[in-house]
Amino acid sequence: MIQRFRMFAPLAMLAIVLTACPASTTPSESAGGGGGGSSTAPGSSDGAAAGGSIEVTSLWGGAEADAFQAVLDAFSAESGIEVTYTSQRQDYATVLNNRLEQSDPPDVAIIPGIGFLRSFARDDLLVPLSDLGIERDAIEGNYPPGLVDIGVVDDELYALVVKLNSKATVWYKPDSFDEQGFEVPADFADLIQITEDYKAAGLTPWAVGALDSWTLTDWFEIIYLHQAGEEAYDTLFSADGNWSDQSVVDAIDTMTQIINNDNVAGGIDGALATGFVDGIGLVFGENASAEMYYEGGFVGGIAAGDVNPALADQLGTGIDFFDFPTVDGNGAGAITIGGDVIAAFTDNPGVAEFMQYMTTPEAGATWAAGGTIISPLKGVESSVYEDVNVLAAKEAEQVANATAVRFDGSDLLPAGTDLGAVLQAAIQDPSSAGSALEGFQSEVDAAWADSTGG
Amino acid sequence: MTNVVAPVAVPRRQQGAFGRFVSGWSIAAGLFLGPALLLLLVFMVYPTVSTIVLSFENGIDNYVRLLTQDPKFLSFSTFPPRGALVNNVLWVIFYVGGCIFFGLLIAVMASRVRYESFITAIVFLPQAIAATALGVIWRFVYFPNENTGLLNAVLGIFNAGPIAWLGSVSWVNTGLIIAGVWGSVGFATVILLASLKGISTEIIEAARVDGARESQIFWRIIIPMLSLPISVVAVTLIINVIKLFDLIYVMTQGGPANSSRTIAFSMYQEALPSRNFDYGAAIAVMMLVILLPVLIFNIRRFRSDRVIA
Amino acid sequence: MTALAEPVIEPPAKTPAEKILRFIRKTPIHIGLMAVAVFWLVPTLGLLITSFRPRSEIQSTGWWTVFTGNLQFTTQNYSDVIGAQNMLSAFINSLSITIPATIIPLILASLAAFAFAWVSFPFRDTIFLIIVSLLMVPIQMVLIPLSRLFGDIGIGGSFLGIWIVHTTFALPFGIFLLRNFFITLPRDLIEAARIDGASSWNIFRRVVVPLSVPAIASYGIFQFLWVWNDLLIALVFAPRTGQPMTVQVTTLLGTYASEWNLLAAAAFLIMVVPLIVFFSLQRYFVQGLLAGSVK
Repeated sequence: MIQRFRMFAPLAMLAIVLTACPASTTPSESAGGGGGGSSTAPGSSDGAAAGGSIEVTSLWGGAEADAFQAVLDAFSAESGIEVTYTSQRQDYATVLNNRLEQSDPPDVAIIPGIGFLRSFARDDLLVPLSDLGIERDAIEGNYPPGLVDIGVVDDELYALVVKLNSKATVWYKPDSFDEQGFEVPADFADLIQITEDYKAAGLTPWAVGALDSWTLTDWFEIIYLHQAGEEAYDTLFSADGNWSDQSVVDAIDTMTQIINNDNVAGGIDGALATGFVDGIGLVFGENASAEMYYEGGFVGGIAAGDVNPALADQLGTGIDFFDFPTVDGNGAGAITIGGDVIAAFTDNPGVAEFMQYMTTPEAGATWAAGGTIISPLKGVESSVYEDVNVLAAKEAEQVANATAVRFDGSDLLPAGTDLGAVLQAAIQDPSSAGSALEGFQSEVDAAWADSTGG
Repeated sequence: MTNVVAPVAVPRRQQGAFGRFVSGWSIAAGLFLGPALLLLLVFMVYPTVSTIVLSFENGIDNYVRLLTQDPKFLSFSTFPPRGALVNNVLWVIFYVGGCIFFGLLIAVMASRVRYESFITAIVFLPQAIAATALGVIWRFVYFPNENTGLLNAVLGIFNAGPIAWLGSVSWVNTGLIIAGVWGSVGFATVILLASLKGISTEIIEAARVDGARESQIFWRIIIPMLSLPISVVAVTLIINVIKLFDLIYVMTQGGPANSSRTIAFSMYQEALPSRNFDYGAAIAVMMLVILLPVLIFNIRRFRSDRVIA
Repeated sequence: MTALAEPVIEPPAKTPAEKILRFIRKTPIHIGLMAVAVFWLVPTLGLLITSFRPRSEIQSTGWWTVFTGNLQFTTQNYSDVIGAQNMLSAFINSLSITIPATIIPLILASLAAFAFAWVSFPFRDTIFLIIVSLLMVPIQMVLIPLSRLFGDIGIGGSFLGIWIVHTTFALPFGIFLLRNFFITLPRDLIEAARIDGASSWNIFRRVVVPLSVPAIASYGIFQFLWVWNDLLIALVFAPRTGQPMTVQVTTLLGTYASEWNLLAAAAFLIMVVPLIVFFSLQRYFVQGLLAGSVK
């Protein structure tokens, strides 16, 4: 069980990068909070008696929302506290900001990125978890090394990583591979070969949902990690990142070997008009018109849960994923992950209890059982994933066996920087990548200066 | 009510003279005016001043960055230049120009047939509906799949396309502006048609008796006589452009690659999702500055019409 | 262009032959107007038809196939968006936002316009000029401070907050429009009422308002449609449980960008009320537009 998570050791290194850059010292006033017995839920009986209620917001809908709802229901059943889940699929960051500006925050929210976490924390909008009876030292052992640090801003713990997904998964149709006689590719060169063979067979190899530009940042990040290596990755997504570096240009170049007019459904313009979920539909929908789709582990749940329910009976045949291949032989076992952190904006009754609940393996297992996420909590048995389906088990295994794990880089950049738009420009006109990156450098520099200087 | 230019013109001093007659009503004036003035002061004037102050939080840094270091707002690194400001210029030229051209064309054509009111109603209809709905209508027309999107289906007949209009940096602004023109031509048509009818037939008859050709009548008489309503329409549409947000938000979210941003959309994007509040404030101030000449034009117009003192 | 450049107003045709001849002479115009009608109707019509087609049909064939005999229709899309996608509650929210945000500015602007038109007080014209200038202030200019102000006074994310924003931004236009109308009312009438000893309130209520119904109605229609169709103010200030239909549709767009069955039905639900208002009150609408093409 414990060995399943040894791969998180690299995260400790990442955490150093994360916390090294700000280094400003906000005096953390841990106002006593939950006192000693912080692992038990103080006042839980009060909450139950009062039947209090809290509001939790996030940006999930569909199968992802259902899986999260199950966690909320389990919490309500146990505590008697009613939880209202508000989902905001569109413009989540805006809505959250509006509510914060208008002093109307949700009690608890999934934070739209680590950049936002820093910004919220430094604007004194978040309740430190120590005030809610969650001490960093006490929970550190429940998570893989380094993971708790992701929620730390200026030495104060504000947020918990509550879910993970691998972002090193390339989704394909095994039946179609068999038909064509393809093997799962080990290296990027093999992937290019499959792409070419699909075209030769008259099929469209790829769909890309580039309207949602974060799909492109994910493409870029996994390629960069494999091609340039872990150290370069850590530097690039820190305040010292040099976006004009040759390694960045090379990664974009590699990316456009696949994402170009010849390989993508609808060409580049078509991809740029296709949303993330629509892209899944192009590959796994009822009227599919493409063969492969790269995005995180959550694709399986959305494809079989929302886009095309018929796929639920064809896991491993109609839909499956392979590990993102090595690039020039590099990057074996290195994966990027996307994760979400949850933080509290109020210390209303029930909030402490809810946040504490989210640190329990029980919550993690309930959530993971929904089949859309990997729980970061060590206490969640691997059998949970096996019970869900083969794909969830496979994703959990991939994460567990990874030799290097890196957090989604664009999530680490300061709030408001838009790497996705740069990549949109780059795939549409690769020759413009240079000037777009220059512009991005000044944007990122200004944003880092804002976020660390303020 | 057919005279657009001075719908309610009254002799300048008339109300003043009568005003003196009821000068004892000052307290009443306070009661009548109070609520409106209070709201305007607290919820419009005060926040406007705060925004200006906020935009100068770091001296003029925000403005320098906006005009020289923000390729999303203004970039000369490519030719032609790009950025939200440039897009707004495109909108002013093609959207305002398009609305006036087609508005005039439709008004002149419609004025010569019996089903005039039918045509104007059809063209005017988009004025009543939300830009949100209008955006959905046009996203549907532009949809990349030729079994769904009308435009690509039409292209398909000629064995062309399909083109992802809103996914293409080179087409996206054209696509948006066409949707915008479609939505606003009715406004231009209705106003220009009303003015057209206000032109005295005697002048035109007299010109005809003098041997003027019909094309001369159009260009030398009708157009000059419509110049004021045309400028009124132009100014109103320019204000629309500077405040243009909904359509961009619904149809493209400023993409792809930020290529369809407008000033008003940039302000929203910087201030709200991105939490660059002072930077967003600077963009809002830019909007106001750009609107100033329009304001001066309008006040002059009202003054010359004696709409206001 | 030559065909268009013909006389704007023609003498009436006398004989049937003349009528036919004139119709033929106008053929280019009829064709042009037909093209106009098609261009302006087809996009909306396409979406309307789509909103009544079954999802499976929408995904496999274009809406235009209904003209070649593909006549499968359903109201399922509407029940889907009304039920599962919360459009019904969004519809009610739209009403809850729009009705007060129309009535309040109507009252306040009428009162203020009356003072500007018929009451003398110091700096009247200057103040009026300033209010007219406020017409130009874009909503973006106040978004940030107003959010914070609402937070400070405890009305952030409430219906009251969004009513206040809509009311405030409606006032300059309303005061401008109504003042200009009130000023045209017969002076003798108001003078007579005054001599009879009527208070200013009674003059306002019993003389000015009844005579100004058309102007007040145009302003009311404008304001109603403006608020109903608004997206930006709602995105920022609408209560989290009170999101109007415009916001709900953008949420749908973000989630189901190619589920045209849902999008088409939702878009039409937004349009229903404005279309009813438009068709029943078109006259006032156009009058208001002509009187105050400034907003």
